[in-house]
Amino acid sequence: MHRFLRLSFMLMGLLVASGSYAADTQKPTLTTEDDLGPQVTQPIEFPHYRHAGLKNPDDPTNSDPSKGGMEIDCQYCHTYARRSAVAGIPPLQKCIGCHQNIESVRNKPRIVELFKYWDAKKAIPWKKVHDLPDFVRFNHERHIKRFVEQQNRPTQEACGYCHGDVKSMTVARRSKSLAMGWCASCHEKNHPVTAEGGTPIGNQAYWYKFQKPVVASSDGVVKAQGPNDCWHCHK
Amino acid sequence: MIDSSSIKQLAGHPFDRRDFLKVLGWSGAAVALSGCGNTSIENGKETVVSYVEAADYVIPGVAVYYNSTCAQCDAGCNINGRVREGRVLKLEGNAASAINRGKMCGLGQAGVQHHYNPDRVREPLLRKGDKGETISWDKAYALIAEKLNGVSGEQVAFLSGAVSGHLKVLLGNYLESLGSKNLYVYEAVAPAVQRAANKKAYGTEMPRFNINKAKVVLSFGADFLGSWVSPVHFSQQYAQFRKGVDGQRGVLVQVESKMTLTGANADRWLVVRPGTEGILALGIINALGASGVTLSGDVAAAVQGYDKARVSNDTGVSVEHLDKLVALLKERTPSLVLAGSAAEGYAHGSQNAAAINLLNQVLGNVGKTIEASASVPFPQMIPAKGNTAALKTLNDDLAAGKYKVLFTYATNPVFTAPGSMKFKANLAKAGFKVAFAHYLDETALEADLVLPLDSALEDWGTQVPEYMAEGAQINIQQPLMEKLHANTQGMGDILLTLVKQREADKYKDFADYYGYLRGSLLTIKGALGSGGTDDDTFWDETLTSGIIKLAGSAEQLSGNASAAGLQLPAAAAADAQYSFHLIPSVTAYLRDGRHTNQPWLQESPDPLTTIVWDSWVEIHPKKAAELGIVEGDVLEVSSRTGSIRAQAYLFPGIHPDAISIPLGRGHEALGRYAKGYGVNPFQILDAVFDQETGELALHETRVKISKVGQRIIVVKDEGAAGGKPEQRRIALSKSTDQVKLSEEV
Repeated sequence: MHRFLRLSFMLMGLLVASGSYAADTQKPTLTTEDDLGPQVTQPIEFPHYRHAGLKNPDDPTNSDPSKGGMEIDCQYCHTYARRSAVAGIPPLQKCIGCHQNIESVRNKPRIVELFKYWDAKKAIPWKKVHDLPDFVRFNHERHIKRFVEQQNRPTQEACGYCHGDVKSMTVARRSKSLAMGWCASCHEKNHPVTAEGGTPIGNQAYWYKFQKPVVASSDGVVKAQGPNDCWHCHK
Repeated sequence: MIDSSSIKQLAGHPFDRRDFLKVLGWSGAAVALSGCGNTSIENGKETVVSYVEAADYVIPGVAVYYNSTCAQCDAGCNINGRVREGRVLKLEGNAASAINRGKMCGLGQAGVQHHYNPDRVREPLLRKGDKGETISWDKAYALIAEKLNGVSGEQVAFLSGAVSGHLKVLLGNYLESLGSKNLYVYEAVAPAVQRAANKKAYGTEMPRFNINKAKVVLSFGADFLGSWVSPVHFSQQYAQFRKGVDGQRGVLVQVESKMTLTGANADRWLVVRPGTEGILALGIINALGASGVTLSGDVAAAVQGYDKARVSNDTGVSVEHLDKLVALLKERTPSLVLAGSAAEGYAHGSQNAAAINLLNQVLGNVGKTIEASASVPFPQMIPAKGNTAALKTLNDDLAAGKYKVLFTYATNPVFTAPGSMKFKANLAKAGFKVAFAHYLDETALEADLVLPLDSALEDWGTQVPEYMAEGAQINIQQPLMEKLHANTQGMGDILLTLVKQREADKYKDFADYYGYLRGSLLTIKGALGSGGTDDDTFWDETLTSGIIKLAGSAEQLSGNASAAGLQLPAAAAADAQYSFHLIPSVTAYLRDGRHTNQPWLQESPDPLTTIVWDSWVEIHPKKAAELGIVEGDVLEVSSRTGSIRAQAYLFPGIHPDAISIPLGRGHEALGRYAKGYGVNPFQILDAVFDQETGELALHETRVKISKVGQRIIVVKDEGAAGGKPEQRRIALSKSTDQVKLSEEV
């Protein structure tokens, strides 16, 4: 009897546990193509729209912040994206480099806050918005090389495939699910990866919707749709 | 996933393991369900901190590499550290090094765990009763100056581990400024007997051994693949040796009483009665003479009595094996005979080593496989080599209450001194004890003032290896990353500050040890072969390569090993009360135990027994059967000095009259990963010394064993003892008397 009672207590605990799971499911379903992440509060509300947004043709002096941006290339600040697997956050030095010469906004609350960090030589504790699990290794450099340098697409378009329309945001917010199925939805389509002169290693990945590499009859070059082995991302 | 109220209700009724597992299974399933999808990604929770000001070469996610020198042992391997986002992540060998040629051992790999160890001392500590009180560096230096005030040079002593390069120069200068000559360089497992024997036989303490040029290597307990002198270098030579000279694959014969890693790799492993290695060597010489090798008159006279029957009787090596060995040595030249610590750890250790060196002479190996080594042309930078004779002198002086101030650095004698020396009690008689330490080890715990050191990956330095692989070289040690803890200092900086207390004028040009190092190397730039380059270029090139290679001056080998004075005692008689020889084995990773707090080393299975995180007593299966001991029985091992308890491990690679306990474990301090794991055989060692050199005879302790009636499961990597037939080692598939050495050749 005692034993039965004890077990039932534990089962009650289990019910409570699954109840909390049920509460979780109130959120929208997960893998839609434009899945919005949570709104994240940052230490400084960085206005992406002002820096990267399109210029307002009616305002050639660009004086009204509510109406237009400055069309700064993403890579001007996120300079590591083309050089490294991670995009990184620009060093504080970079913000100051421009803003010390822009007297007109010097007394705006965000800029005052910015200079407080700079004077204290303290790093800004930004919150990570686009987070991947530790077992996924996404490489920024590779994607920038392909889309921006080889195919000459505009940076904002290329970055936007994964990061959404950041130029219209204040602080960035995740707008794609960044789940594996979502990665595959692109890689399945029109982004063939060419492995020149060699056989791609392994063939497991096509089980997971990535297509099996094929040899083009014309030039003998091996082509595959996207990564052709699990370890390309899971290493 | 059990909520707190149900836990409270359960508190009065501890549930059993079965119920617990059931619930664990169910709630695990619940966790798995709620973990589905990508809600586990924590957007907006983790902080991503950018640099305030980034150096030009810093790209997050992209590593930079720096060359430096490994400080895990004294071999002086050159390393290359991978640094990303300002953190050192991984060490590899520097490919340009003649010593390790881009390779590295497990001990070296664990160097990052020395650096990141959570138990490092972070602040200067002053003893207040049983506690250490944090004080500032200024106060610490002032305190040292105060304690040295009015104390004569004879009353100050400095106990150090092996030290070389500019640190040794500075240390010497500091002691000179104090008027003290009391520098004790102590290493618990150094090849000190061998150095003396080599000096006598070849005229140099550490000649170059060319394992790769030999066709036969006969090693008397030299574990050159594991822990002997320069293992990474010898491992590479060994690989070449196995590929063979002139198409003949090299043959390795290992003679020892307890199998080492090298012994396990040998073509023929010969077990000898502990301490009779010299007798075997003389027996081989005698047999060589009988088979037609010319022996000089005194050698012939010295080996006269060592006929096969007697040698076989004394050593336990059968006449048949002796014959095969002699035939092999005669047929294949050049060969190389090595004397390791196992042959030297006896009261007659020097005699053993001399007999073994004589065998090299007779075989004509001197000048072929044993060559003169190059040495650095700056005698003040040549390593101060550690030995155990120094410890004995220091211990006697401490017992006599001779020292008012004692400094200790890079050595842990309270842990490694044999128990019979009562070192800890004698240490207490020193007036003021200053320990320069990375961790609170057993010795630092006894100190009055503990000064925290930078890790080897944070500090500047130069190092001169004792064993030179090709030409001479000076190794550069440089920081791979910023200091982890704000209040540690480099040993060089500390010595510079201390010597400035005495002779401020002489050192006023050097702001810090880095400045001293740079200045000193620039003044000898010409002698280092870079006379033409300007200072900055020279310095940048030096730091980039991490090695200064020198032509060096080769010492001449004398090659006059003689039989004069060679007097081997008869094989030791059995001791009725303490019937076993204790072999305190030096393992490849733990050595003398200074790095036991690096968990990678604790968890690396011992190569021969696969045991992790604990000590064990190796005993021969036949002997164990006689005594009714099975694996896991806790044994009490008692010597005349003391006793320790450890689990039994049955191992056929040991002489039946010997047992072996590995050194390095059994710490009472040294942090969370070392304290309380295993036992320390140093504790029960008798104080027996080599008669010629005064070195501690590590293998002379006799012990008795008894079961304490407890049996535990041995935590090891291998399967059940014996395993399935198909898993048995190949060596066991043929009984040893059926293996034909000549066929193996």
